[in-house]
Amino acid sequence: MTVVGHIRPAADDAPPRPERAALRWRALGLAITLLLWTVVLVLCLVPLALVLVISVGQKVEGAGWEWGFTAENYIRFLVGAQWPAETTFLYLTQLYWSMRYAVVASVIAVVTALPFTYLMTRQSRRAQALWLVFLLATLSLSEVFIVMGWDIILSNNSGLPMLFAASGLTDWLKATGWFDVLRDWGLANPRNVKFKTSEFATVLTMSYLVWPYAVILLYPALSRLDPSLAEAARTMGARPWTVARTVILPAVRLPLLGAVLLLFVFLLGGYVAVTVFADPAKHTTAVSVYEHVRGSTLNAPFGAAQSVILLVTAAVFLVIGHRLSRTSRGGG
Amino acid sequence: MGALSLGNIGKEYGEARAVDGITLDFPEGQLTALLGPSGCGKTTLLRMIAGLEVPTRGTITMGGRDITRVPAHKRKFGMVFQSFALFPHLSVRDNVAYALTIAGTPRGEAAARADRLLDLVQLAGLGERRIGQLSGGQRQRVAIARALAQEPDVFLLDEPMSALDAKLREEMQVELRLLQQRLGVTTIVVTHDQREAMTMADRIIVMSRGKVEQEGTPQEIYHWPATGFVAGFIGRANFMDGIARDGRIMVGEIALSLPQAARFLDGSPVQLACRPEAIRMGEGGAGANRVQGRVTFVRDLGPVRDFHLETVLGKLVVEHGSDQSTSPKIGETVHLTLPPEALRIYPRLPPQDLSGGVPSALAAE
Amino acid sequence: MLRRLGQLYMSLAAVVVALPVVIVCSAALNGGRTMYFPPENPTLDRFGEFFVSEPVWTQALGNSVIVALGAATLAVLLAWPIAYALWKTGARQSAMLAALGSIPFALPPIVFGVGLGFFWAFLGGLGSIWAGIVSHAVLFLALPLVTISIGLQAIDRAHLDAAATMGATEALTFRTIVLPQTLPYTISGFFFALVLSFNEFIVMFFVSASAFATVTLQIFNSLRNGYTPTMAVAAVAFIAVSVVVFSAVARWGDLPRLMGADQSRS
Repeated sequence: MTVVGHIRPAADDAPPRPERAALRWRALGLAITLLLWTVVLVLCLVPLALVLVISVGQKVEGAGWEWGFTAENYIRFLVGAQWPAETTFLYLTQLYWSMRYAVVASVIAVVTALPFTYLMTRQSRRAQALWLVFLLATLSLSEVFIVMGWDIILSNNSGLPMLFAASGLTDWLKATGWFDVLRDWGLANPRNVKFKTSEFATVLTMSYLVWPYAVILLYPALSRLDPSLAEAARTMGARPWTVARTVILPAVRLPLLGAVLLLFVFLLGGYVAVTVFADPAKHTTAVSVYEHVRGSTLNAPFGAAQSVILLVTAAVFLVIGHRLSRTSRGGG
Repeated sequence: MGALSLGNIGKEYGEARAVDGITLDFPEGQLTALLGPSGCGKTTLLRMIAGLEVPTRGTITMGGRDITRVPAHKRKFGMVFQSFALFPHLSVRDNVAYALTIAGTPRGEAAARADRLLDLVQLAGLGERRIGQLSGGQRQRVAIARALAQEPDVFLLDEPMSALDAKLREEMQVELRLLQQRLGVTTIVVTHDQREAMTMADRIIVMSRGKVEQEGTPQEIYHWPATGFVAGFIGRANFMDGIARDGRIMVGEIALSLPQAARFLDGSPVQLACRPEAIRMGEGGAGANRVQGRVTFVRDLGPVRDFHLETVLGKLVVEHGSDQSTSPKIGETVHLTLPPEALRIYPRLPPQDLSGGVPSALAAE
Repeated sequence: MLRRLGQLYMSLAAVVVALPVVIVCSAALNGGRTMYFPPENPTLDRFGEFFVSEPVWTQALGNSVIVALGAATLAVLLAWPIAYALWKTGARQSAMLAALGSIPFALPPIVFGVGLGFFWAFLGGLGSIWAGIVSHAVLFLALPLVTISIGLQAIDRAHLDAAATMGATEALTFRTIVLPQTLPYTISGFFFALVLSFNEFIVMFFVSASAFATVTLQIFNSLRNGYTPTMAVAAVAFIAVSVVVFSAVARWGDLPRLMGADQSRS
């Protein structure tokens, strides 16, 4: 019997010999890394930097714009171009509508998507894949097509209002007094219901636009939710609603908040739905950006400044969301 | 080719020492098992032999050539992985032929060699299958065939049986051993299962905490464990703490005699170990090391019975064939004999250092 | 009872989601020049106009296809080395690069569109189809980046060790193990970028500067002049492409996994 553990004279620890092939690979790797950094930095950051720089530039009548360093565009955004002689909050009002549409639409989308996604994740893998194909197909569908579809549905001549009138629903509404309520909400003209142009139509289309996104964003968290958690709660006597409130909701609270935030940022820049469905007095910053950069009132620096404001708004909401999620994580 | 040798191999991950200065030789054509509990450094050692990890110190030589820093793909060591690591995007045949294909062997020839190897591991005709269509046992055979395809200088297996169920495991151990003997390839198997090591190995290396505890044949390791750790890890043992006095060992008030006791100075703390099947139970006979014990529990295992006993030496477990006539009941008192030649003695280490460092008194034995 | 309620809710959601799509599609069958629902004088003539006879639409369709294919290819080519470096080394700089590459997708599109408009005006690329391709590639870089990263994470590291012990160099391992095993994920990433590029219009609006039009741009530009059934044909074509592409991803790739489903349950 031999026992090992004794030490032989230590062999010299020679450093690895650099091989030519290895060096060549390393050089190639370095070149690719550099190229990637350049491409990504230039293409992702330079456009944003340009927006920032141009937002402090000056408009030149009839010739576009020139470099500058002025807060003029931001001041105009806050209090109007004629300030201090005259103060208008036109652009701030537009920002308010941007946020209002985006908040309402993203909350509606997430709240309605939550039960749907939960039910979907309880189905078989195959059924889930089918649902995902359906959702991804509608999700990727261009905003222009979606707006087109809702426009037809909501238009006064051929859509839901026609259906309301033809089916007698309008008369029923008039008889029960609901018609006057709808008129107060701006959803009816003297003869029939009307959905275009209204805040209702705008928000509806916007939340439709992001609804598949909401499902996709909630899907990972809900599909990882251990079904035995709910089952355990059931065996302890919890009713379905109690299970949802005490087990499922707390588990997805953070993804829920995250989904609302992401959809909010996405909708801040929404354009087509607003131009088609919203009353011009309730148009958004994104519409104004479009008008100033490419539309009738060419003023690139002011458009850029409004873009920056949109970005800052998005960032502020993301930071608040991050704070909220941190405190709720720490507290919960 | 030639023998594989490790010289003072060590591997540190930051502060943690995974492998701590191991020197070993692996004779050509033998099957060596690296045996130890999880986290003892055996897999790290195997991966360094394979060239998948670079040792932080020491050398690895193959037939006298230093291969310490030769990358895995230039070593020609075949390896079977714990998860088998079969490529799901390739057929069984393409998996086996992988080493040949990337080495530039013509397609037809590689396929023919792969089929011969599949034949060797009794999977003839399954070459077209996808990996997902195979059972656990079949996957293991594919993994073995694949590792052998390049006719490796050394054949390495990392816990090759852990993904199989118990019955299949024993069959495969025998089969793998027969295959290895037929091919005569130097083989190293990493395992935490002592039965697996004893079934297959010419030689077992017991490791603990990055060091070698003992090296020897299965019989040597079982009957002459070099340390208390080995005695406890390989098979079962009753341990008793004692103190050397006048050429005997005092365990509590009882003096036990054994041949090696004289080597220890009076007053030195020792640990005694005795296999459960070595303790004799019953009235008959006189002689040294007799104590009484009360039966507290009987565990019937079919061919054998374990008797749990309360004695003056502490709790003891005694194993008896179930065909023996004497079968005391719970609560009965029986006479026990601990034969001096069956007792193993180790210096007792201070409680905080259980690392099993080999004491010089024993290493000299 | 509750089960019934759940099924009812899901069906209702499906109907609402499908409603505008179905209506647009059926409007494509209108015989006249005006969109009616239900369609009047159903005919397939509008399909001929869109795909064959009207140069405005056929050119736009050609541009859409070129931009989508080019952008998706470029995005995958850019995403691969970034995802690979991140997976291989896990280095901080690779993670930063990946994060940077995902920024455009996370911003309100109109902001990035405005920025790209300025950017190409400086480089002189404004209005060229190349600028359109590169812009979309950057905008959708995040998609192949994510899918390829998911694919790489799915590779068992023991496979790489196994290949090495069988004599494969890193380059060979990449070609014979990493690339084939991540192929479904690469294709998925390509398709995601392809479909979204196909449907995107606001960034393209700023980059094209009206020098060329894609299908969505063409529709967007004529929004105020009212819809024609030919536009609905475009919608039908686009929906068909999306469904085919995502079905392919679901068939050959693991769609639930790509969307972040748990692997342990099935």
